[in-house]
Amino acid sequence: MAGIVKPPGEFSITPHKVSVCILLQIYAPSVQISLPFPFASVAQHNRLGLFLLALTKSCDDILEPKLDELISQLREVFGVLNPRFVDHLTTRLSALSSPDDLFNFFTEMRGILGGPESCALEDEQVILDPASNLGMFLRRCILAFNLLAFEGVCHLLTNIGVYCKEALSSCASYETTCFEDSSSNLEAFPEYENMDLENFVFKKVTEEIEARKRASERVSFHLHAPKALFDLVEDIEAPADPKSKHSDKVGETSPYVHPPNYALKEFEPNSGIFLRTNWQIQGYLQEQADALEKNGSSFSLNAFELILRQLHKLAPELHRVHFLRYLNSLCHDDYFAALENLHRYFDYSAGTEGIDFVPPASGSNSFGRYEIALLFLGMMHFQFGHPKQALEVLTEAVRVSQQLSNDTCLAYTLAAICNLLSEIGVSNTAGILGSSFSPLTSIGISLSVQQQLFVLLRGSLKRAESLKLKRLVASNHLAMAKFDLTHVQRPLVSFGPKASMKLRTCPTNVCKELRLSSHLISEFGFESSTMTTDGAFSTAWLKNLQKPLGSAILSQENGSGSNENAFQFCVQPSSIPGSVLQLIGSSYLLRATAWELYGSAPLARINALVYATCFTDASSSSDAALAYVKLIQHLAVFRGYKEAFAALKIAEEKFLSVSKSRILILKLQLLHERALHRGHLKLAQQVCDELGVLASSVTGVDMELKTEASLRHARTLLAANQYSEAAAVAHSLFCMCYKFNLQVENATVLLLLAEVHKRSGNAVLGLPYALASLSFCQSFNLDLLKASATLTLAELWLSLGSNHAKRALSLIQGALPMILGHGGLELRARAYIAEAKCYLSDPSFSVSENSEVVLDPLSQASVELQVLEYHELAAETFYLMATVFHKLGQLEEREEAANSFKKHMMALKNPLDDEDPLFNVL
Amino acid sequence: MNSKESCRSELRIAIRQLSDRCLYTASKWAAEQLTGIEQDPANFTPSNTRFQWGSSSIRRRFRTNEITSTPIAGVSYVSTPVMEEDDAVDGDFYLLAKSYFDCREYRRAAHVLRDQTGKKSVFLRCYALYLAGEKRKEEEVIELEGPLGKSDSVNRELVSLERELSTLRKNGSIGPFGLYLYGLVLKEKGSENVARTVLVESVNSYPWNWNAWSELQSLCTTIDTLNSLNLNNHWMKDFFLASAYQEIRMHSESLAKYEYLQGTFGYSNYIQAQIAKAQYSLREFQQVETIFEELLRNDPYRVEDMDMYSNVLYANECSSALSYLAHRVFMTDKYRPESCCIIGNYYSLKGQHEKSVMYFRRALKLNKNYLSAWTLMGHEYIEMKNTPAAVDAYRRAIDINPCDYRAWYGLGQAYEMMGMPFYALHYFRKSVFLQPNDSRLWISMAHCYETDQLRMLEEAIKCYRRAANCNDREAIALHQLAKLQYELGRPEEAAFYYKKDLERMEAEEREGPNMVEALLYLATYYKTQKRFEEAEVYCTRLLDFTGPEKETAKSLLRGMRTTQSGFSSMNVEHFSP
Repeated sequence: MAGIVKPPGEFSITPHKVSVCILLQIYAPSVQISLPFPFASVAQHNRLGLFLLALTKSCDDILEPKLDELISQLREVFGVLNPRFVDHLTTRLSALSSPDDLFNFFTEMRGILGGPESCALEDEQVILDPASNLGMFLRRCILAFNLLAFEGVCHLLTNIGVYCKEALSSCASYETTCFEDSSSNLEAFPEYENMDLENFVFKKVTEEIEARKRASERVSFHLHAPKALFDLVEDIEAPADPKSKHSDKVGETSPYVHPPNYALKEFEPNSGIFLRTNWQIQGYLQEQADALEKNGSSFSLNAFELILRQLHKLAPELHRVHFLRYLNSLCHDDYFAALENLHRYFDYSAGTEGIDFVPPASGSNSFGRYEIALLFLGMMHFQFGHPKQALEVLTEAVRVSQQLSNDTCLAYTLAAICNLLSEIGVSNTAGILGSSFSPLTSIGISLSVQQQLFVLLRGSLKRAESLKLKRLVASNHLAMAKFDLTHVQRPLVSFGPKASMKLRTCPTNVCKELRLSSHLISEFGFESSTMTTDGAFSTAWLKNLQKPLGSAILSQENGSGSNENAFQFCVQPSSIPGSVLQLIGSSYLLRATAWELYGSAPLARINALVYATCFTDASSSSDAALAYVKLIQHLAVFRGYKEAFAALKIAEEKFLSVSKSRILILKLQLLHERALHRGHLKLAQQVCDELGVLASSVTGVDMELKTEASLRHARTLLAANQYSEAAAVAHSLFCMCYKFNLQVENATVLLLLAEVHKRSGNAVLGLPYALASLSFCQSFNLDLLKASATLTLAELWLSLGSNHAKRALSLIQGALPMILGHGGLELRARAYIAEAKCYLSDPSFSVSENSEVVLDPLSQASVELQVLEYHELAAETFYLMATVFHKLGQLEEREEAANSFKKHMMALKNPLDDEDPLFNVL
Repeated sequence: MNSKESCRSELRIAIRQLSDRCLYTASKWAAEQLTGIEQDPANFTPSNTRFQWGSSSIRRRFRTNEITSTPIAGVSYVSTPVMEEDDAVDGDFYLLAKSYFDCREYRRAAHVLRDQTGKKSVFLRCYALYLAGEKRKEEEVIELEGPLGKSDSVNRELVSLERELSTLRKNGSIGPFGLYLYGLVLKEKGSENVARTVLVESVNSYPWNWNAWSELQSLCTTIDTLNSLNLNNHWMKDFFLASAYQEIRMHSESLAKYEYLQGTFGYSNYIQAQIAKAQYSLREFQQVETIFEELLRNDPYRVEDMDMYSNVLYANECSSALSYLAHRVFMTDKYRPESCCIIGNYYSLKGQHEKSVMYFRRALKLNKNYLSAWTLMGHEYIEMKNTPAAVDAYRRAIDINPCDYRAWYGLGQAYEMMGMPFYALHYFRKSVFLQPNDSRLWISMAHCYETDQLRMLEEAIKCYRRAANCNDREAIALHQLAKLQYELGRPEEAAFYYKKDLERMEAEEREGPNMVEALLYLATYYKTQKRFEEAEVYCTRLLDFTGPEKETAKSLLRGMRTTQSGFSSMNVEHFSP
C-alpha cells in the first residue's frame, strides 16, 4: 500500500547479529582491551575475517543460523582443537543479562570502529574501516540498536536468551529433567529476573555440553542418529505435566531434527527464527530463480513452496516471494497457481521491483509499471501453449509501454513477440494476426507472417541496441541469425522478379549475426549486479565448509587436527551469469544447426559437442536434449543404426522427464530410416503415421514436423514402388511448402520428385526437378543437398542411355569431394555405385584392363551399406560386383558376391523373419 | 417450534453460566436473544413494554415475508438438559480470580487459580491464560514489526494450553466450555479438522455458547464441510446455520432461516441486523434502510453493523442521513473501525476523497483485517486516480477474503483505467464467478471486451446477455446488445433487442434518448423489411419527440406513403385520413 508500508531495506538487530558483532570484536579488538585475542597464525586471523564476511553476505538460506549451527561452522573453520572462539562467544552471549548490558555492549562495539584519526595507531592493530563491508555491517548494527525502543531492547534480550538456550538444549536434552525445576518458571517469559537463573544454568551446563557435543557431533550428521535422539526427547516429555512446558520447547526446537525440514517448523512459536538481511534474502530469491529456470521440473514443487510460504509469513511485505511462487508453479505446469501468483505479485509490486527495473528519474513515474505484468503474462501464456492469448496480451503490452514510453519494456516485448511468432507454427498465426494485430497494421502494408516477423526483429534489435540492453541485443542477433537461416530476404518494398535477389542465407551472414551475439560475453561485466556475484561467492564458500566434513571428522579421530582443505575454494563459482551462458550456448546450438543445413557434418558435430560439454550446466534441459538429438542423428548417418540406438538409450535415460517429445521424435525418425533401409515397409508406414500425429498436437501445428512427416510418407510410398501416389504426395507437399515459404524444404521435395521420376523410369521428367532443386540449393548455400542433387542428376543422365555416361561421370566426380567429405554412409554408397555404373555402362571402358576402378568403389559401398543394413542397395552392389567378377573370370569371388546378393534379396523379401530387438521399442 | 417459555428459561440459566465463566460476548448475545423472545400477551407486565416494538411499522410491512417462509416441518428438537453446576457455591479463590479477570488482569487471575481443580476453575484459568497470550500477541505484533512488514506473532500459551486441554479431554473431565477453548486453541494452531470435531462436541453438549458456534462457523467455508457436521437438533443450530449460510453466500437460504427464527425471537435486534445483511447482499436496499431505521430507534447506541447501513445510505446518496449517522456513532464510540468507516463513507459521498482515505486508514489501523475498509479505500483511490494504491488496497482485501467480489471488480476497473483491458478481464472473470447474478459486473466485463483495443464483440454480446438475464436495473444491457448486433450486421437480432428494450422502457415509464434511438431504428428496420404498418406505428410515436428525429420520422412516413401508393394504387383510399 502506497502510504502504509514502510520503505524496505531496514535492518533489524537479532541475536545472530550480536554473535557476529562479538566475533568482529575478536577479529578487530579495540584499543581499550588490554589483551588482544591470541591468534595462532595470521592465516587464522584472515580466515576469521573471511568467515565473517561470508556470514554477512551468503544467501543460501532465508533464516539466520542458530547458535549451535554457528558454533559448528566455527568449529569447522578453526578446527575442533581451537575452542576458544566458541568459549568466548558463549560466555559473552550469556553475560548479556539485562538491558544495560546490551547498552554497554554496543557502546563497546563502537570502539572497534576506526575513526578518521585512527591511522596514527601502531600497525599490528587491526582496524575496522568504517567504510568496509564489515565496518558497514557493524555500523548498521549499532544504528539499529540505537533506534530500538525499550520494548525492542527487551525483545532482543529475550531472543538472545532463547538463542542461547536452544543451542544448549540441543545437546542438553538428556538432562532437561534435571533442571526442569529451576526452569519451570520460565513459562512467564518476559520476566527478566529469570534471566540470571537461566544464565546460571547455562554456565553450569556449558562444560558438560561441550564434552557431549564433541561426542555427539559425529553422529548428528547421519540420518539414523537424530531419530534416536528425537525419540529420547519424546520419551521425556510424554507425561503431560503442565510444569514441563520448558522441556516441550526443547523437543520442538531441537535443531538435530528440524533444520532441513521446514514443514515441521510451521506452527512453532517463531521466537527463535529470524530472517537474514533484506539484501541476503533478495540474493537467495535471485539464486533460487536462476536454479528454477535452469533445472525446471526437477525442482521439488512442494519443498520450495513450503520455504516460500514461511518466508511470506515472516515478511509479508516482501512481494518477490509471490514471483518465485509464480516461477515455481510455472515450472511445474500448474496453470492456475501460476496465473494467480503472477497477478498477485504485480498487484502488490506494481512492477517496480522487477528484473530490469530502472529507478524512475525524479519520481516522474509514480503510477507503477504494469506493462511489465503484461509482458510476463504473455510469456506465461506462451509457455503454457496459449499462443492466441499470448499474442493478445503482448499486443496490449506493446500499446501500454508505448503510451508510458517505457522503451525497455517495449524492446523486451517485441523480442517476446518475435520469439512467439517464430516458435508457433506459421499456419497458426495467420488467423490471429489478421484481426487484431495493431502495431503492424499501422505500417499500412499487408505483410506475410515472416515479413512481419522480420520487421519486428529489426525494430526490436534497433531498440535494444539504442537502449544498450546487452542480453537482449545478443538474443536478438540470435533470432536474426535463425531467421536468416531459413528465410529468403528480399527487399521489402520492391517485390517482383526484377528486384535484385540479395539473399542473406549465406553462411557468412549467419555467422556474422552469431558472432555479434557472442560479443556479449566480454561485455556482460558492466551489467551483472554485484549482488549476484558477491552473494554467490559467499554462499559457495560456506557450502564448501560442509563438503569436506567427512574428512574433518576423520582427521579429528586421527588426532591430526589439520583440515586445511576445508578452506580451499574448491569450486570457484563461475563469474558468468547463467543467462549469459545460456545465450552463448544457444548460439553454439544454432551454429550446429546452420552447419547441418549447409551440409558440413563435422562442423555441425563439433558445435553440438561443444554445447553438450560446456553449456549443459547452464542450459535448459530441452536445449541440452536438442544437442544430444543432433549428435545422435550424426551417429546414425555416419556410424549406422546400432550405435545410434545405443546412444539413444542413454539420452532417453538422461532426459527421462523433460522434453520427452524431442527424443521421441528422434526415435521415430531413426526407426523410420532403418525400416526403409531394411525394407520393413509396413513398419515404416506405421512410424510415419505416428510422426504425423505428433505434428499436430494440442498446442498447434508444428509445420516443420508436418512437412517432415509427409516427406517421409512420400519416401515410404516410393520404396513400395507406388510411384504415382508418391508423386502426388510430394506434389501437394511442394505446394504447401511453397505457400508457407519453407524454402529449404522446397529443395528437398524437388529432389524427392526427381527421385520418384527416376525410379519410375521416367528420367526425362525427372531432369527438370533435379535442376530446379539444384538451383534452390545453390541460392540457399545448401552444399550437401546440392551434392546429392547433383548425384541424382547424374543418375538420371545415366538412365537415359550409355551415351550420357561420360557426362554423368563428370557430374559425379565434381560432387565427390563434397560427398566424401561431409556425406553420410548412404550418400557415399550411392555415389560409389553410380560411379561404378558409369564406368560399366561406358562402352569404351574395359573391365579387364581397369578392374580396380570399378571394384574399389563397389567394395567400399558394400561395406557401408552393410553397416546401414540397406538391403536393396547392398543387393545391387553385390550384383554389380558379381558381374564384374564374372567378366574377370574370378569365379570364387563371383560366387561369394552372388551369395551375398542372395542373402540381401532374401532379407528384403522376408523383412520380418529376423527377430528384431528394436522392433518393440515403440 | 418449541415453546417460547422453555427457550426463555434455558437462556436465562445460560446467561448466568456464561457470564460466570467470563464468556461475555456469548452471554451478551444470549441476553439479546432472551429479550428478543416475543412475550405472551397474557403475562406481560407494563414494565416490559418498552422493550416491545411489535406495533412498529416494519413488522407490519414485512409480515408477509414471515408467512411465506415455510416452517420446517417435522423437526423435533433435542432437549439438551441444562448443565448442572459442579459446585453450587463458588470458592473464594474463584471469586477473586473472576474479579481480577473482570479488571482484565488475566495473568493474575490465572495465578490465583493455579491449584484449583474444579472444572469451572480450570476453565477460567485456561481461558485467562489464553487471553493473556492473545493480549501479549497483539502487543508484540506492533513491537516486532520488521522491515518487511508485520511479523506473525504467535500466542505463546497455545502449546501448553493444548497439551493440558488434550489430557483433560482424554480424562473426560473437560466439559463443554473446556472443549470450546480447546477448539479455539486448535484452530489457532492450524489443525482445523480436529478443531471442528472438538467444537461440534462442545456445542452438542452445551448449545447456548454462541462463541463456540461462531468459531465453528468460521471453520466451515464450504457447503460440504457444513453438511458433514454432525449436529444435534437444537434451536441454536438454526441460528448457526443461518449465519453459516450467509457466510458461504447462500443468501436466500439464510434469509429463510432467519425469518423462521423470527417466529420465536420476534424482537431480536440481532436477527433484524442479520436479515438486513442478507437483504443487503441481495441488493434490496430499500428494505435494508427500513430495518436499520427501526433498529436505531430501538437501540440508538448500536455501532455493530452500522457500516452496512452507511453503505446503503451512500448508495442512495442520502448525505444528510449519513452525516447524522456518522455523528451518532462518533459520539458513541469514536475508536471503532465501523465508526471510522462510516465517516469515510460520508466524506466519500461529499467528494472529499483525501479525508475519506484518512478515515479508512484509521479503521484499518484499528483492525487491519477489516475487509470492507480495504475495498472502500480502493474505491477512493480510484476516484483520486491513484491506481497503484487502489490496486494494492484491493489486493489486500482479496488476500483477506478471496471471495470478495467487490475487490476483484475494483481491480478490474483499475486495470481498465490504465488501458490494460485484456489484463483486466482476468479480474472481471473472477468477480462474475463469485457473484454471477450481478448485472453490473457483467456489464463492466462486456464493456471491457468492447473497448477499442480489444473489440471482442462476440464475447461482449455474451456478457450483455448474461447481464440482461439477471435483472439489469440500469437497463444498459439490452440497449448495448441491440447496438452491437446492429454493428455486427445482424438487423433482425438488433430489432429484437430494441423491441425488448422498448417494452422495458414502456413498462418502467422511462423516456429518453435510448427510446428515440430504439424507435428510429425499429421504424427504419420495418420499412426496409417492407412491413409498413409496424414502421408507421413507430414513426408516429417518434413524432411525439422533439429534435431532428421528428423530421426524420416525418420524411420516413412520407417516403413510405409514396412507395406504397406506387405499389398498390388500389389501396390508396386506405391511407386517406
